[in-house]
Amino acid sequence: MSINLNDLLRKYKSHPYEDHEILAPHTGVVKFKVEEGQAVKGPSGQWLHRPGTLLYILEREKNPKRITSRFDGIVTDLRVDLDGKFVEAGQPLMLIRHRLNKQEITNRILKEVLHIFPAPERARYFFTPETSTKIEKGKAKSLSVKTGDEIVIMSLMKRDTILNYEGPSGVLYEVYFKNGDILEQGAPLFGVCLPERLPFVEKVIQRIKTEWDD
Amino acid sequence: MEQKSILDSGKYLVTLQDRVSYLADIKGGFEWGNLRELFERVQELRTNLFEYSERELLQQIHSLEGRIEFAERQVAKRLRPIEIVNIVRSVQRFTLLDILENCYDSFTELGGDGEFNIDPAVIAARATITRRVKNRLYYHQVMVIGHEKGMGEEFRNGGCAKPWGNEKALRYMKVAETEGIPIHFYIFTPGAYPIEDYPGAAQQIARNLFEMAKLRVPMISFISEGGSGGAEAIGLADMRLMASRGYYSVISPEGAAAIEGRIKEGGKVPRKLVEHCAEQLKMTAKDNLELGTIDRIVEEPPLGAKRSDFKFFKRLRYEMVRATDEVVLKTKSFRAFRAYALRRQSQDKEKVFNDEFDIHIKWTLSESEKDRLLEIRSKKYRAMGRGYKVLKRPFSKRLTRFWESTRHKYYDIRYGLLRKQSKNLQKILEEVSSEGSVIFKTVTESMRAAYDFVFPAPQKPAQTSQQDPLRRSIFMQDWEQYISPLANEDRTVTCPNAEKYGCKDLWVPDLYGEYSGVCPTCGHHFPLEYQWYLENLFDKGSVREFNTQIVSDNPLGFKGFDEKLKKAIERTRRGSAIITFDAEVLGIKLVVAMLYSDFRSGTVGSAEGEKFIRACDRARTTRRPFLAYIHTTGGIRIHEGTLGVIQMPRCTLAVREYIDSGGLYIVVYDNNSYAGPVASFLGCSPYQVGIRSSRIGFAGPRVIRETTGTDVPPDYHKARNALKRGHIQGIWDRREFRKNLFEALMTMGGPNLYYK
Amino acid sequence: MKKEKVLIANRGEIAIRIMKACNELGLDYVVVYTKEDRASGHVKKALKERGSQAVYRISSYKDPNEIFSVADHSGATAIHPGYGFFSEDFRFARRAALRNRPITFIGPRWEVIRDLGSKINTKRIAKSLRIPVIPGSDEPIYSEIEAETLAEELFLKQKEQGIDKPSILVKASAGGGGMGIEEVNHLDVFRQVYRRIQNYAKRQFGDEGVLIEQCMRDYHHLEVQLLCSQHKEVVHFGTRNCTIQSTGRQKRVEVAPGFDPTIWEYPFDARKVLDDMVKYSIRLAEKVEYDNVGTWEWIVTRDGKPYLLEVNTRIQVENEISACISRISRQRGPVNLIKEQIRSALGEKLNFSQRHVSFEGTSIELRIVAEDVKRGFAPWCGTITRFEFPDEPWVRVYTHVPQDEPYEIPTEYDPNLALVIVWGKDTQEAKKRAKDFISETVIDGKDSRGNGIITNLSYLYEKVDEVLRF
Repeated sequence: MSINLNDLLRKYKSHPYEDHEILAPHTGVVKFKVEEGQAVKGPSGQWLHRPGTLLYILEREKNPKRITSRFDGIVTDLRVDLDGKFVEAGQPLMLIRHRLNKQEITNRILKEVLHIFPAPERARYFFTPETSTKIEKGKAKSLSVKTGDEIVIMSLMKRDTILNYEGPSGVLYEVYFKNGDILEQGAPLFGVCLPERLPFVEKVIQRIKTEWDD
Repeated sequence: MEQKSILDSGKYLVTLQDRVSYLADIKGGFEWGNLRELFERVQELRTNLFEYSERELLQQIHSLEGRIEFAERQVAKRLRPIEIVNIVRSVQRFTLLDILENCYDSFTELGGDGEFNIDPAVIAARATITRRVKNRLYYHQVMVIGHEKGMGEEFRNGGCAKPWGNEKALRYMKVAETEGIPIHFYIFTPGAYPIEDYPGAAQQIARNLFEMAKLRVPMISFISEGGSGGAEAIGLADMRLMASRGYYSVISPEGAAAIEGRIKEGGKVPRKLVEHCAEQLKMTAKDNLELGTIDRIVEEPPLGAKRSDFKFFKRLRYEMVRATDEVVLKTKSFRAFRAYALRRQSQDKEKVFNDEFDIHIKWTLSESEKDRLLEIRSKKYRAMGRGYKVLKRPFSKRLTRFWESTRHKYYDIRYGLLRKQSKNLQKILEEVSSEGSVIFKTVTESMRAAYDFVFPAPQKPAQTSQQDPLRRSIFMQDWEQYISPLANEDRTVTCPNAEKYGCKDLWVPDLYGEYSGVCPTCGHHFPLEYQWYLENLFDKGSVREFNTQIVSDNPLGFKGFDEKLKKAIERTRRGSAIITFDAEVLGIKLVVAMLYSDFRSGTVGSAEGEKFIRACDRARTTRRPFLAYIHTTGGIRIHEGTLGVIQMPRCTLAVREYIDSGGLYIVVYDNNSYAGPVASFLGCSPYQVGIRSSRIGFAGPRVIRETTGTDVPPDYHKARNALKRGHIQGIWDRREFRKNLFEALMTMGGPNLYYK
Repeated sequence: MKKEKVLIANRGEIAIRIMKACNELGLDYVVVYTKEDRASGHVKKALKERGSQAVYRISSYKDPNEIFSVADHSGATAIHPGYGFFSEDFRFARRAALRNRPITFIGPRWEVIRDLGSKINTKRIAKSLRIPVIPGSDEPIYSEIEAETLAEELFLKQKEQGIDKPSILVKASAGGGGMGIEEVNHLDVFRQVYRRIQNYAKRQFGDEGVLIEQCMRDYHHLEVQLLCSQHKEVVHFGTRNCTIQSTGRQKRVEVAPGFDPTIWEYPFDARKVLDDMVKYSIRLAEKVEYDNVGTWEWIVTRDGKPYLLEVNTRIQVENEISACISRISRQRGPVNLIKEQIRSALGEKLNFSQRHVSFEGTSIELRIVAEDVKRGFAPWCGTITRFEFPDEPWVRVYTHVPQDEPYEIPTEYDPNLALVIVWGKDTQEAKKRAKDFISETVIDGKDSRGNGIITNLSYLYEKVDEVLRF
């Protein structure tokens, strides 16, 4: 293996954060419900059915919409100057500095270890129905793929193209998008683990489990 | 008590300690009186047993026993309802297995051996019970079915029957019916285990009730702990006995307190409130006898019978035999029964209890006697639970036109300006429609809905063409269209599925007008007021309400409920949570019962039950299909206690008789339908349908969490899952309700819309 | 005219055309755009002319809430929907009219949009006015006997007309957009197909109504351009021929007028057919009190019979070729239909009538699209690095693609690059000028793999020769 696990882990340990930019999903008048530096929580519960901390209310056409946090973290760069103002869609409102947990670190390191199948175009992506069912049933990790398999549908300009997998054979180890997401060109779609690398991958997970404190 | 040795004293001390613990159970802790001191004293004597001389010890024990007896007398002097609940819950109380051991001479448990059981909370056994007549023994074969609380046995689940436990109970009831032997039911349950897994808590109880309504064998039930719906699953008996220290209630006092006090989940329920509710719910044997929900009380010792109370078991055996005799005799000639009853009366007057019988009575019935048994059962339940008021001047019958005045104002203010412009377009539409026809199904129907929404409807009847009535009526809408008042606001709302399906925010006038409250993207149904259904489901002007004179009351005198009731009546201008009426769907006449949310969350009490039964009977006598449309029901109204609970068997019986006579009974659930009604007269329908986005179940997520300790997914009760579990037969879109109902009536109703 | 502010709820070239019209009318405007369009020409033009106060970023062009939200915030008094998006959405128009703060919808009144938005309804009204429509059912059929009788009749009629391969279409009446349509070539298989479609319709739409109509094969696609006002004025601007379309039924070359008997021979009296179409279109418009611009779509079969297809209650992409050949006697230069549309929607009277309108020359519209004509018109996406075209007095080009910097085609929308409108004093001249224009146009670009751009320029060049030929 060419990947130095120690270096990777050190890198994440020195900066175990990820900043999520919170953008206004649409136009409307914004009213903040958090303060700079406040700790917020993401959705919780077994089915993530309990919404996270209320971040702000965005009112458009007399519909005050409660926007809650999707991540655990700390509020920074809060645009207090926009409080009570009309904002346009996509307006940055704040950052949420999220401390990476074990699972997330694992995912990140896996991205470097697995064979990543990237999005060929900026487009909307879906799994083929069969793959989709298997993934929903949680059987992704036993789903083996080889060159030529029909895994993903790319939807570009209202036209669907089936993408055939190209690359080493292995098991579909990780999925990096939800059905219907728009991905930038080159963004990872899924990661395939070569059978001979499986033990190494397990080792990575094991090490993070023991060396990382949440 | 004579003490033979120190070792014996040790054993005796254990029983004393149990007696103190028992008192603590009843009083809800050792804080009452000197219980703690007594307990510690016994404890101390037990530890230091050998430090004392025998004489000292005996003396100590003697004085202790005296003090304990005094405490027991004090407690027994005035038992508050909450204390009776505590007695029932005490681990020292007798259980079904004790009864099987002690009241029956032999028994074979069916389908279970301890843990190896489909549901250890429910026991079924074939047993023999003996009767002594002039020193001769006679044996009776019976089926015993009941809950086993299994004090201390975790796997018994405290007597909470799982759906398949109740299914087992039903199976053995049918065995008894085949064999022609009576059934003895023993109810020891705090309530059914509220899970939806097949066959489903509510649906199985409903099935049990439906079968029991016409089970052709004598059934006797004995209640020690009668927890609402769970109790009813094996409760619809010909004779209902109750332990004098038992309780029979619509809900646990804690549950009632949480609702009354609007306690948030996980919040502490004040003890005072729990005690208050225990009193208000009228759950003791004496209360229930007065309410007429039970037939007789079986006396227990003042502080309740414990596991080794052999005297009590003897009494219970006698009572069960006697009750069975009575049920059997009632089916026979009147004179024989009277003679028997008279003899019994003379014995009751004697203070000494004698378990000897004068005669032997066989418990097998002829077919005609079985018919009579069912007849008596029907009469018995129909006469129960009538805690409603009858008004001399019933509520207004102006049901269909309630929105008339508001509607005009609404249109005038909002769209008055547009009237002129509308004329021409309207003319075109009329011309087009006068050619007559089916076109309005696909295009113009929605178009017209939108059209009428904006322009005031002209005051003239719809033009209909002479076509196949079957088709015409579906597609033709009258000119007047009911629009939900919710539509009258310029604002938008977010669909709850927006994140999942990308639904756009909906403009309220579109949503509640043209879209009939349905999200056009994902099909989510936003709740609509019940009036919408009255206006859009049935033919215009065909709705004729009846029995408006029957109104809800506060039969238990539940404190504070009078005001709540008054408020509900003022707000809804109705007398109960149910509306019963004759109506037509595309010309097919039917009888409808509608539970709606605005009045006490659509809860069912005596008035609702009575109106439902009368509607059911009306459908039977007029030979019309019967539709139960459940806009919402929150279950049995707790403020009516067991008078509410008894509506479950009562109404199910009426439904059973309607269906047996050939009626077509269709139940449609909307919004939220939970608990008792679903677990009885609704859940027993062969045709149950959910409106999209509705929730159907036995207990809500909170109750499930609190009773089972596990969380359920947010969509646990959704119609789609109910369909998946086999609880309902289909899901209807609100916009197609009328059409689907018509089709259902046509296809399932047969040529006369009535089977026989 | 009181000071109105128009919110332009569209993108690309139509947004630019509407801005120009507003400028000419002295109206204020605001534009909206989405993330993908931030580099688009309409945003740049608005920024240059009106500054950042007139430009709003929204989440989607298709979310009415965004449009109304921006309209209220910016103080817009009218909304121009352009074409596509909300242009034929009667609910949008209704909401604009009925909300607490009403906004003028630039288009017909919403009731008209709704009623003419339904093909079946249009067909019924047309029939009642004795306007020819495609033979077949004008209401859903539910009975098999009824359906078979009609099918038989349709086949017989086609045989009588000497149609070589008669066929009919069976459609789910609740369907649309090509779903649930099958062609029947022989009466024997009709029942089978009918049942299949009926089942499909019941399953898909919960309504088993089926429509049956004659399948038209050899025909031209024509349009009649009308302009009406709220004061019951109706003026037509002649006809257009839009027969040249991509496989996905997207128009690629349009010509006004609809036929030219001076250069082609037609198997029928072309002038009479055109006159009839105009006459019928006006008859329907008067009946429903049509009050804005609209296009009446027709098909004309080889035997010279026009059939009304549908009414498009909006301004169309190709409106300008009609405007180009129209002259109003008291005005200078050609008509601007978008300007007239805005004026009409704002309640003004047309200041001319039909007798003031005359026609001059031929106009051809070319739609330059980045698509691979040989591969089923598959869209191409990538970045345009060079876009140059000749500047002549007889041509007008509408494009949102900037000429001074590279432009990445947003993948969320169709890759339309430019609309070219050429005018000539007769059809021959217009055709020649169109071909000249194409020859002198240069488009360079690269996709993500570094391959060169694919456009339909050569396809357009070939097709120009064929225009107006039956």
